[in-house]
Formats: sequence, C-alpha cells, structure tokens
Amino acid sequence: MNCEQATKELSLLLYDELSFEQEEALHQHLEQCGNCRQLLAREKTLHHALDRMEVPVGSDVLTKCRRDLRGRLSARAAGRNRLRQLWSMLARPFAMSWLKPVGALALVAAGFGMSRMMQTPAGALGSRTAEPVAMQVRYLQPDPASGNVRIVLDETRQRVMTGSLEDAAIQQVLLSAAKESSDPGLRVVSMDMLKNRAQSAVVRRALLQAVQIDVNPGVRMKALEGLKSYGSDPEARKVLARVLLTDDNPGVRIQAIDILAQSHGAENAGVFQELLETESNNYVRLRSQKALRDMNASVETF
Amino acid sequence: MTIQREAALAGNLSGTAGADEATWIRAAQQGDQDAFEQLVRAYDQNVLRLAMNLLRSVDDAHDVYQEAFLRVYKNLHSFRFDCTFHTWLYRIVTNLCLDHLRKRKVRREESTVIETAEGPKDRIQTVAEESAEGDPQRALMSRQLSQRIQEVLGSLTPRERMVFELRHYQGLRLKSIGEVLGTTEEAAKNCLFRATQKMRHALGDFV
Repeated sequence: MNCEQATKELSLLLYDELSFEQEEALHQHLEQCGNCRQLLAREKTLHHALDRMEVPVGSDVLTKCRRDLRGRLSARAAGRNRLRQLWSMLARPFAMSWLKPVGALALVAAGFGMSRMMQTPAGALGSRTAEPVAMQVRYLQPDPASGNVRIVLDETRQRVMTGSLEDAAIQQVLLSAAKESSDPGLRVVSMDMLKNRAQSAVVRRALLQAVQIDVNPGVRMKALEGLKSYGSDPEARKVLARVLLTDDNPGVRIQAIDILAQSHGAENAGVFQELLETESNNYVRLRSQKALRDMNASVETF
Repeated sequence: MTIQREAALAGNLSGTAGADEATWIRAAQQGDQDAFEQLVRAYDQNVLRLAMNLLRSVDDAHDVYQEAFLRVYKNLHSFRFDCTFHTWLYRIVTNLCLDHLRKRKVRREESTVIETAEGPKDRIQTVAEESAEGDPQRALMSRQLSQRIQEVLGSLTPRERMVFELRHYQGLRLKSIGEVLGTTEEAAKNCLFRATQKMRHALGDFV
C-alpha cells in the first residue's frame, strides 16, 4: 500500500468501513509511515471536532412534533370517519336501483322539510332562527328575455338554542363546539360545561380527545378537570400516560400526574419513571418523584 | 385491542423493549392508531435528529418530521416488507431533507439558529462555548473551527451532506446508506470520501 491509497482509507478506518484485509494492509503501512500516522491523528481531531457539531434535539421540540403529528392524524381520521358515515347514510337507501327515484324524492322532500323547519320561530328546544348574518352569492344567471336574474345565495343564520345541560341535543352542540370551534375561548367554555358530565361515554371520549389534540393548553386543562375521577379507567390512564410523556405544557403534565397519582395504580409507576428519564422541568420532576414515593415505588428505573 | 398489543404498549410506556416491529406494522396497516404511534415513537427521535442536523432549523426539521410521518401513515398500506421499515422510513426522510437542502442551495439562506434551554442561540456559539471554557485563545480557535466546519458542511453537495450525516451522526453503515439513498455501497463510499476530503482540505489549518 502506498501513501495515496492510505490517505484515502484513513477516514474509512475511523468509520470502521474497511474489510479485514484492507484494515490489515493500512495498519502495516501506518507502522512504517510517520506522515500517514500524522494524517491519521489529524483525521481523528477532525472527527472529534465534527462530533461536537451535532445539534442537540431538545425534548420540547420532540414533544411539539409528536403533539402536532397526533393532532394532524386525528383530524384526518375524524374527517375520514365523518365522510364515511355521511356516505353510508346517503348510500344505504339507494342500494337497490328501483329505490333511486324514491330516494331522490325523499331527499327533495327532506330539503323542503328542513327549510320549513329553519323558518319556524321556535323549535322543540326553544330554538329560534334570525335574519341572515352572513351571505355569499354562489351563482348568478341573467335571463335577457324577462330581464330577471336568478341568484343562488349561501346564507348563515343565527339560531338560538336554550335548554338544560342534560338535554342530549344541547350536549351534542356543546360537544361539537368543544371539538370543532376555531375559537379557543368557546372550546374552553364548552369543556367547562361538559367536564362534570364525564360519566357519559361520549363526553368522556370528547374530553380524552381534547386532552390529546387540542392546541390550546387552557382547553386541555379544562378537559383534564373533567377526567379527575377517571385515573383508574384503562382508556383514560393510557391517554393520561401519553399526555404526561408528550404534552409540551408543564401545567398540563402536572395535572396529568395528579390524576394518575390519585388513582394509586401501581401500573402508573412505569410511566412516572419514564417521565423522569426525559423531563426537563424541575417542578414536574419533583411531582413525579413524589408520586412515585407515595406509591412506594423507586424513582429510578433498573 | 389484543392482549399482546396491550402488553406491548404497557411495556413501551414503562421503558422496556417493545413488541416485534412487524406486529406493529401489520396492526398499523389495519388502521390501529396505537400501533402506528408505537412505530413513530420507535423512530421519531432519530428522524428529528437527522432533520435538525441536516437542516439546522427547528422549523424545517419540524416540517420534515410532520411530512415524513404523514407520508408513512398514508402509504403504510403499500409497505410490503421488501426492505426494513427503517430503510423505508429513512428513504422518505432523506428525500424530504434533500428537497429542503436543494431548495436552500438555491435560496442560500441557511439558518444556524438552534433552540437551547436559554432560548434560541447560534449553533457555532454553543459549540465554541462548551469546548473552550475559561481559555480565550482556545475559545477563539474553537469558534473559528466551528465556523469553518459550518462553511464546509454548507459547501458540500446535498448528496455528500446526506451521506456524511447518515454515517457520521446517525451511525448507519455504508451498505444501509446505499439502500436508503437507492445507490450502491461503493457509490456511498465515494460520496463519503469526497465529503471528508473536502473537509480535510478546508480545515487543514485547524486540525
């Protein structure tokens, strides 16, 4: 082996990418060549300098990435489910071809029915509609013969609903606001109203979903309040463990610790121990250590 | 949820070794969200580290992370175990990173700002600070070296940069790098050689 070949293989030697024979030949050359030994020493210094250039990945960045991804995946799944439900609802009556005209008639009738219902001043729940608050022209068709114009409008009307929180329809609207409103204030208020009704599986599911995917920590905190008595529920426990390990808000993580700690479940020890391995917030660490001590578990993993 | 998956999930949460990866993939292919999350958690730290190192921008790394795992989610049904999941995932991630690097080569506006416990800081500053505490001359040398390394890394072609990154920081063997980048081990080796040679030449005065 000559110096030119040796120089070429120095970095491959450090990367452990040479075959046994190549490495043997290079070592033999290095034993005899002071220049190449010097070059190897420089190569090692360069490697060492490059090692120090590695960008550290903060746990907060990772946590944010995980949360955002979960939010995007949940939104996709929810959208797909909604579409699937809508499709199956629409497709079911028309499965048989002879029913198609009947279905079309039914849809037209339903449309008329809906429009009449929307015009009714008061519904079963004390609901009432008002004048349009937003209007958008969708389509224009002039008729030169008559001089008239045909306009298709999209209108948004306000509708006021009044009813008890026990009412299923009211709960449905609150759930919808808690999950889908773009206004975080509205989501917080909806969550606040729903939090004492977590005994309902539908409400509990909405609380669990909000805890995981709502971008606003205030909403997540409210949702957690509703889950206070559910630390021993297997589904809630699983979600709370995830929140504890991935939520970027220390307040939310602390609340999750409290709920899990209240349930006194020994199975939570692993979660607290895993948290201690990655948690950077001292107060969260302290709370997690206390929870472990309270359950007579070790604060270390072995 | 099957007992096996439940146990594996509990295992993962408590930090013990996870279930067989193929089981997670098959479950995720059937639409199991928990299984998909386990796959993400098994790889996402390395994915983020790769993107952060290559792109040196928290925002870009975040975008690559999101896009990569969304693509995995969308296309997992077409994964046929022809290669390892790791290789398949890294193919997606490296393609996204290469796109970013190529665009950046055109824009020439590389950010070296990283997030630290004390807030955003220039990466060069952090490297120089930790390596030469209390010795002003060494600190200066260290800062200059870091700066020069930055420049050299920025001057590598996206492909050289990728191979160097995968070998030096991710610890992948050249054979795996070839598989990820859709090339041969020999081509990856040549690429790594070019990258290290450029660095050796550019940093000759320092090392």
